Amino acid sequence: MSRVHGRPEGLHCDRFAARPRDRCRAGLQACLALLLFAAPVFAQPVTYTKDVAPLLADRCGMCHHPGGSAPFALLTYADAKRHAAQIAKVTADRFMPPWKADPADGPFVGQHPLSASEIALLRRWSDAGAPDGPQSATRNLQSAIPWADGWQLGKPDLVITLPQPYTLPAEGTDAFHIFVLPIPVDRGRFVRGLEFRPGNPKVVHHANIRIDTTPASRRLDDADPAPGYDGLISRTATYPDGHFLGWTPGQVAPLLPDDLSWRLEKNTDLVVELHMQPSGKPEQVSPSIGLYFGDAAPTRTPAMLRLGRQSLDIPAGDANYIVTDAYTLPVDVELEAIQPHAHYRARDVRGEATLPDGSKKPLIDIADWDFRWQHVYRFVTPMRLPRGTRVSMRYTYDNSAANARNPQRPPVRARWGQRSAEEMGDLWLQVLPRNGRDLETLSRDFRPKVAAEDVKGYEVEIEKHPGDVGLHDDVALLYLELGKSDGAIAHFTASVALKPQSAAAHYNLGTALTVARRLDEAAAEYRQALRIDPAYANAHNNLGNVLLSQKHYDAAIQEFTEVVRLQPESAAAAKNLAAARALAKK
Amino acid sequence: MYDRSVLFLPLLAVLVQTLSGAPVDALQAPAGTKAIVFLFTSTDCPISNRYAPEVRRIAEAFGRKGVVFRIVYPNPSETAKAIREHMAAYSYAGIAEGMRDPKLALVKFAGATVTPEAVVVAGGTVVYRGRIDDRYVDLGRERPAPTERDLFDALTAIVAGKPAPHATRQAVGCFISDFAR
Repeated sequence: MSRVHGRPEGLHCDRFAARPRDRCRAGLQACLALLLFAAPVFAQPVTYTKDVAPLLADRCGMCHHPGGSAPFALLTYADAKRHAAQIAKVTADRFMPPWKADPADGPFVGQHPLSASEIALLRRWSDAGAPDGPQSATRNLQSAIPWADGWQLGKPDLVITLPQPYTLPAEGTDAFHIFVLPIPVDRGRFVRGLEFRPGNPKVVHHANIRIDTTPASRRLDDADPAPGYDGLISRTATYPDGHFLGWTPGQVAPLLPDDLSWRLEKNTDLVVELHMQPSGKPEQVSPSIGLYFGDAAPTRTPAMLRLGRQSLDIPAGDANYIVTDAYTLPVDVELEAIQPHAHYRARDVRGEATLPDGSKKPLIDIADWDFRWQHVYRFVTPMRLPRGTRVSMRYTYDNSAANARNPQRPPVRARWGQRSAEEMGDLWLQVLPRNGRDLETLSRDFRPKVAAEDVKGYEVEIEKHPGDVGLHDDVALLYLELGKSDGAIAHFTASVALKPQSAAAHYNLGTALTVARRLDEAAAEYRQALRIDPAYANAHNNLGNVLLSQKHYDAAIQEFTEVVRLQPESAAAAKNLAAARALAKK
Repeated sequence: MYDRSVLFLPLLAVLVQTLSGAPVDALQAPAGTKAIVFLFTSTDCPISNRYAPEVRRIAEAFGRKGVVFRIVYPNPSETAKAIREHMAAYSYAGIAEGMRDPKLALVKFAGATVTPEAVVVAGGTVVYRGRIDDRYVDLGRERPAPTERDLFDALTAIVAGKPAPHATRQAVGCFISDFAR
């Protein structure tokens, strides 16, 4: 039985047809008709032991085992029988197994769809009264699930747990909570794998996992007295070395080969955002994370590309809003994995690669996007995408009242934002360039695109929170990175207005004005910073540089002298002072 | 013409079990009861369980208005002990009685098909059967909040002596037919 192909041979969709989904549907109908007339196969009675048990073990058991991530087990006849009608319905709806991508995509790791004939078989079994079968056959499929009670990747080298369980309230819609966990390593490590165990599978639905090498996430957590914090994942928490982390039920990323591991430094925090569904009573949640270390440093490092539009702006009631984005690869890569991300209004999610010869390869097709099932889709065989390949996305959103999942009723205008009531549209691609040089070429080429998109997201956030100094500062730095000093000046000016007594705010504005060559104004800002904090060495230094450009040598030397006085051990300070004196002599 | 329903259809006893195992007529209620709500549930149905807070709210609101709430467990494999634990965990104890319906007598009388499903009986007949609200559109498709509180609206009407706005509304949940096998 094929684990990969969801449809019988010869009935794959023609995705390039004018209306591909109609063609699919026709294919499926043809397939069903074929099955109806395939009488000899259907004459045999369906039994649990002969037909149903192997399917349940193979396609459902990875979650539906005792202690697994599903709400009930399906590994005994008694369990299967008392869910027979439910199994028939949810498989026919393709709600289960939860695989949202078109079965013709991939093949992906962990893909275990049911074929139309398998679904029909489950229905016939239920309709026949869920008959058992020969007593000699396996009564309990537990043995078919070797990792039922343990870690699927084996014993971890390090297990990280919450210091105290989190209590999820009894009621409400999807709940999100972020936990920041120090990773207790005494030296740098090479990580080959990460396995997440939900702790309370009744409520934990998926986990976003990131790494933060800065104290930013820890500070957010410390500011909230309860375990973890409510809010957004800090922008400083990222995927390590271009590797996806995260968990959805039934999925475990296989261990990486040694040469593809990621580096974990000391004093790094794990940032785990749990998506939970309240169960009707208060629940204790205590997930754990296992880390698997390798011996050798990686020799290859993937890159994470992100397509998507942070300028998305969906009118209230619009049932057909389309977001597209694309990027042309400057180097040859292998596409390792892909992860679409959107919230409740997204309906149809597609990614595609157009090769330099014009041929197209589907990357991902999700016709009924469900925010609840956000897999990372890992290609069984990485897809080769030569230089010049255009990777693209096309997402369709339904912001009308007809979309039951719409978080707003009546619908309201939806703009970009990380909160689930806002909307997003990202397609993440993990690509592996051939070597370090290609990785650098790719990163350099891609960085301005993603920075420009982030700027749009920040501008939307700032419209909502105009008094947030941190947002103004962050976006100003992005503007500087993009060489847009006007944008930086505007936002640092806003920060100064919000915190006029902050020396750093004046210093930042001075820096942006310096980049824009507005030197008099820059000098005024540095001087303001120094009035507030006379010992601000960097402000003295930058003011010195401005004065030097303006050929005010004596004043510049005075500033650099002050830097040397404040930082007597700094070689750079001494060098600047010497250079200023040399210029003054000329 | 005479009214056949009055003359020839005396109220039938619908025998269920109390949690101590005693047979009892599910339709029996104290004098002055305006309606009985049977809330069909099962201990491990996630949708059923997620509704516990809303069921408690409705029971508390209408308990004062002559409405009796009964939590019905139709799955014969759920023991009285497991049901008591379930009622304690989801805080049903005190606001609603628990009863077992292992022979599905009440399921058949009420026409219930899934858990959770509410059946309201007044004057010996079913006056509302269906979902608690429209939060679940289908298995795996759910609204962030209900837009129609069908059970609440039905009880509001029934207590006021009016018919429920809808006599039935399709409930979404776990199939009772699976328990009967």
